[in-house]
Amino acid sequence: MKILVCMKQVPQKDAPLKLNDSGAWIREDVSYEVNEPDAFALEEALRQKEKHSGEVVVITAGPARAQQVLREALAKGADRAIHLEDSAFVGLDAANTARAFAAAIKDETFDLIFTGLQSDDYGYAQTGVVLAELLGWPHATIIMQIEKTDAGIRVKRELEAGYFQFVDMPLPALLTIQSGINKLRYATLIGIKQAKSKPLRKVALAEVQSAIGANMQKIERLYIPQKTKNTEFLEGSPAEVAKKLVEKLRNEVHVL
Amino acid sequence: MLVFRKPLPNIERPQMPADVVIVGGGPAGMACALRLSQLIDQHNASKPDSPLSKENIYVLEKAREIGQHCLSGALLDPRSMRELLPGFEKEAPLEVAVTKEAVYFFTQSGKFKFPITPPPLRDHGNYVISLNRFVKWLGGKVEETGITIFTGFAGSELLFDGDKGGDRVTGVRTDDKGVDKQNQPKSNFEPGYNLQAKVVILAEGTRGSLTKQLIARFALDQDRNPQTYGQGIKELWEVPAGRIAPGEVIYTMGWPLTTNEYGGAWIYGGKDNVVSLGFVVGLDYPDPRLDPQRVLQEFKKHPFVARLLDGGKMIRYGAKSLPYGGWWSIPPLAGNGWMILGDSAGFLNSQRLKGIHLAIKSGMLAAETAFEALKKDDFSAASLGDFQRRVESSWIKDELWKVRNFHQGFEHGFWRGMINAGLQQFTGGRGLRNRYPSSAGYQHLKKLAELPADGGDETHLLGPAKGDGKLTFDKLTDLYHSGTKHEEDQPAHLVIHDTDVCNTRCIKEFGSPCQNFCPANVYEMVDDATQTNGKRISLNPSNCVHCKTCDIADPYQIITWVPPEGGGGPNYDGM
Repeated sequence: MKILVCMKQVPQKDAPLKLNDSGAWIREDVSYEVNEPDAFALEEALRQKEKHSGEVVVITAGPARAQQVLREALAKGADRAIHLEDSAFVGLDAANTARAFAAAIKDETFDLIFTGLQSDDYGYAQTGVVLAELLGWPHATIIMQIEKTDAGIRVKRELEAGYFQFVDMPLPALLTIQSGINKLRYATLIGIKQAKSKPLRKVALAEVQSAIGANMQKIERLYIPQKTKNTEFLEGSPAEVAKKLVEKLRNEVHVL
Repeated sequence: MLVFRKPLPNIERPQMPADVVIVGGGPAGMACALRLSQLIDQHNASKPDSPLSKENIYVLEKAREIGQHCLSGALLDPRSMRELLPGFEKEAPLEVAVTKEAVYFFTQSGKFKFPITPPPLRDHGNYVISLNRFVKWLGGKVEETGITIFTGFAGSELLFDGDKGGDRVTGVRTDDKGVDKQNQPKSNFEPGYNLQAKVVILAEGTRGSLTKQLIARFALDQDRNPQTYGQGIKELWEVPAGRIAPGEVIYTMGWPLTTNEYGGAWIYGGKDNVVSLGFVVGLDYPDPRLDPQRVLQEFKKHPFVARLLDGGKMIRYGAKSLPYGGWWSIPPLAGNGWMILGDSAGFLNSQRLKGIHLAIKSGMLAAETAFEALKKDDFSAASLGDFQRRVESSWIKDELWKVRNFHQGFEHGFWRGMINAGLQQFTGGRGLRNRYPSSAGYQHLKKLAELPADGGDETHLLGPAKGDGKLTFDKLTDLYHSGTKHEEDQPAHLVIHDTDVCNTRCIKEFGSPCQNFCPANVYEMVDDATQTNGKRISLNPSNCVHCKTCDIADPYQIITWVPPEGGGGPNYDGM
């Protein structure tokens, strides 16, 4: 199986964020990491390849720093990488990112494309779905398990409240992978060393520019929520306090 | 039951051959790698028929990313960088050049400005930097040379020739990954590698864990003054515009410390209204209840500092130990298959409060030594011993020799230290004799029975800080801002060799000072009715910020800090 994994570099979860001058995104000088569900998508692709043989290709879009994500993937066992390198890619909406990816892989044939369920920064959960649409492929989201069948694949989707759905799909297909589907592996010294000589194709903005249109979604303003804290002490016997607490939770906080 | 980290026994380990392994990607290690690459490039250009390869030169760095564990004030004396990369100022991330400096002596609410800035603290020509950003940049330079930096990999053990008895270092074992709390392999277990190296260069920073193994094995501390240490606690703040000029440098002595403790504060104005401030406390204070993180909080309450920070916001926190001992504490620098650099060796000028430039210079000299050894293919003590000679004939020695007795002078209190420092200024560092002795800091800790129950003059430094959430913070709030993160399911990397000492002796004799000197709330005495004293030691290893203070300051010397699973630790973005 030939699998493409779409990966994204996102600001580290607990990095202190500062807004940039436009007020619509954050400043560049934070630490970055691999988008969490993308790491699980990569791991799943590597496991499928180990079972069924084939090739794992990773792709990302972003400035030079984003190459780190690809290098980590290559070190863990991906065979080659594609880097759409330009800081302009950071500002694309989901549809345009999908268009850019589709244009960059137009000469390739994959059996499967994996993306993470959603990104930790924008959180659109759309790029994968739109990409499937552009390619004319079926897709399934929130995937917790993948098995190869004679006709294609059978996947397990996570629904709400502990329910799952099993879906049989033909190939090629696009799947958005949920965090926790597997246990991540570590990169090894030899893997890191070998990664240095694995092929990494760079795609300039100009090469995919014609596929990209105007953003349909735009961030108008980003702001850091003001923290407010209001502590109230409930007094009385334990029974009275419990009663008051239930009342508050029901009538004021509306969680019961 | 506490289970401590140790390399798993009896497992098959992957091997990897190496020419040079540099353990630690801080300023010393990165400078070493870069210089070595320069020398190899020059050699290969002039002798194309006998080229040397960089293929098997490696840097191990335990942080997930380059520079993430680097913390310093920081001021950079550019001397060594100008030698390493002439013109580096044009491209390095230097915040701002020092424009103005002042030294104050603080009383509880007042201050005296020193009429002139003492010469060692004159900083014109130096730069305010974020060591984190600086090392990130330097690491990028190293990667461009083709040398491989293994981030997220720690050195867990040194390898020796022969089984146990060998006197030659033959490599480094990296950390086992994917080991659970009980020291059992998990499904994604990856054994540490045996990196077989011709020479291992230890650039681990203060109190390096492999360096400690080496010093103990070969008794490298013999005939040396014991290394003495300080603990620096730092906060990065964003303050309203106009509070401090970019490039303004302020040092303070005095309050909140009394004359029984050694230490002082720094305040550096960076760009974009970011202020670096911190407090260094010598880890040779007498009262085990003293809490260095509290000291910084008390310092911030001083009206001068409180005004500076008013309306600002704390954005980052961190802690690190630093070696104060100076020239007489530096161990032998090289032997069969090894060299020691930077803070691991103790290259820090405690009078100027600077070590980055020395770390870089020591890295360059080690690289020159390693380069000659590679050409000769001779990594014996005789060949690598050249490093010692290079250091002794370099300006590192000139600089450290002049201050060789500086810190020892303060062992008997602040005023005697000041008098000694003055005397040394006029005698080329000699003072009253050529070599002042010193004793290890932990030996200065007094037992609770010898101290006033209420703390006496030190009351305001003892026990945990409460914090008002604006100007001052409790330890957990500060700790959150260190960004520290570890794999939770792994054995404790704070190896306590005998927890009975904690539960039965230390709690009574010293009142469990680990709870106070640890800046990250790793150590906790929890209630346990089965114990004689009603409490037992418990660890929160995931909180650790890798400062090594516990390894240094514990009065019974039963704690060994070993690296946790690679990739874990603080995130000192911008520090």
